[in-house]
Amino acid sequence: MKKTKRGQLQISFAWIFAIIVGAVILFLAIYTATKVIKIGDTAVSAKTGKEISVLLNPLETGFETSVVTLITMPVETRIYNQCSISGNFGRQIIKISQKSFGEWTETDLETSSQNKYIFSESIEEGKNFIIFAKPFEFPFKVSDLIYLTSRDKKFCFFQPPTRVKEELSDLNQENILVEDEECPENSIKICFSNSGSSCDVNVDEFQKSVEKRGEMMYYETDALMYAAVFSDKTTYECQVKRLMKRTNELAKLYDEKQQLLSVKQGCLPGVNLQLLAISANSLADSSNLASMSSIVNEVNVKNYITCFDKFTVYLW
Amino acid sequence: MKIQQMAFMLIAVTLFFALVGLFVVNVLFSGLKESAALLEEKNTILLASKLSNSPEFSCGGAFGTTKVNCVDFDKIMALKENIKEYGNSQASFWGVSGIEIIRIYPVAGGNIVCSSETYPNCNKVELLKPSSGTGVSNFIALCRKQAKSDEVYDEEGNFVAAYPYIADVCEMAKLIVTYKEKG
Repeated sequence: MKKTKRGQLQISFAWIFAIIVGAVILFLAIYTATKVIKIGDTAVSAKTGKEISVLLNPLETGFETSVVTLITMPVETRIYNQCSISGNFGRQIIKISQKSFGEWTETDLETSSQNKYIFSESIEEGKNFIIFAKPFEFPFKVSDLIYLTSRDKKFCFFQPPTRVKEELSDLNQENILVEDEECPENSIKICFSNSGSSCDVNVDEFQKSVEKRGEMMYYETDALMYAAVFSDKTTYECQVKRLMKRTNELAKLYDEKQQLLSVKQGCLPGVNLQLLAISANSLADSSNLASMSSIVNEVNVKNYITCFDKFTVYLW
Repeated sequence: MKIQQMAFMLIAVTLFFALVGLFVVNVLFSGLKESAALLEEKNTILLASKLSNSPEFSCGGAFGTTKVNCVDFDKIMALKENIKEYGNSQASFWGVSGIEIIRIYPVAGGNIVCSSETYPNCNKVELLKPSSGTGVSNFIALCRKQAKSDEVYDEEGNFVAAYPYIADVCEMAKLIVTYKEKG
């Protein structure tokens, strides 16, 4: 009787030991596999973010008025467009989240750059993204603005002015439609001054404002008008501030250039770029752009210095 | 005895899988390092081909119509004076560790580095001086304004007058962008 009891105890301990250790090994294996998959997803997201950032380099325009390109992702992707105004130029931050096993991966890894300006909604979702870039001149070229949209979203520009119509038609971008009669359903309808009430975005060419989801954004030049149409207010205002920071630095650069030409070649500096630099640096939000435009126009008209009393040299 | 055998077996199995896991993670991360280096290289190549068109470098309309791959030498010298605003070789505005411009034709007297004193009689502009790394270059037109004068002599060869004017001078140069390899 005693022998049987001892034998039963021995067998059951072995089983208990095996089960516990087996469970620990299984738990560790599953835990490690999950972690490795997560690290892999994060790595892919970070890599994709950097890839997008690299792919945006060729969008720097030379003498072109605009450039269009398509980015295709292997899986459904969310692009988080974030912006920071810290530092001399602020930062463009991109975060990527991709669908893995039917769920969106979460990552804290981000790619940032100081010399890019992406205008889009704060989250753009899709597999294919269409990007078009257009130079922003204020009054000299400040940067190329990048407009990023998902191919799934259709933008319908309803009865736009002729110059906008011609430019958008020339772009031949498949998710941008220009209509004079009726916009297709499920498209984002962009109306120009007094075009109707069923509009998602209203562009007022007289006030130079864009109204979107009840919020007002102000612009100068068509490049910023498109920027306001394609992005949300937070992104737009942040990027405009970043652009003004760069305008400030470029104004200082051109001022330095006219001083150099004065010292080295005997020209007379005459363009008041300090005022432009100060007003660009102190811009609070896009509503201040209108007050800046008079300074910009004045500087643009006087974009030259005089050498030997009769020769004019353009600064930009 | 059986428990001992089983324990040893389990430890061996655990160790085996741990080693396999480590190997897999190592392979995974070496691939990641490789793609990071490749992306850095690709970024620099694309940047080198387009940097000359960015507003801090480009000629714009200062030398007639807008040109591609044309760098304004006067603006570059102004940029050199303000380069601190654009960061340093560790963290620059353009995200690269070095940017240099070397005039290749015509070459005037050795390898003179450009400064406010030597300009325009110099051949090399060090905007961001790289400590180390791989350079990618692109050919550019380096243009500047230069005061010149037309001198007039009489029939006997005596100097009569000089008429100064401003000329556009464009020379051939190389724009070198350097990136640090991540290892």
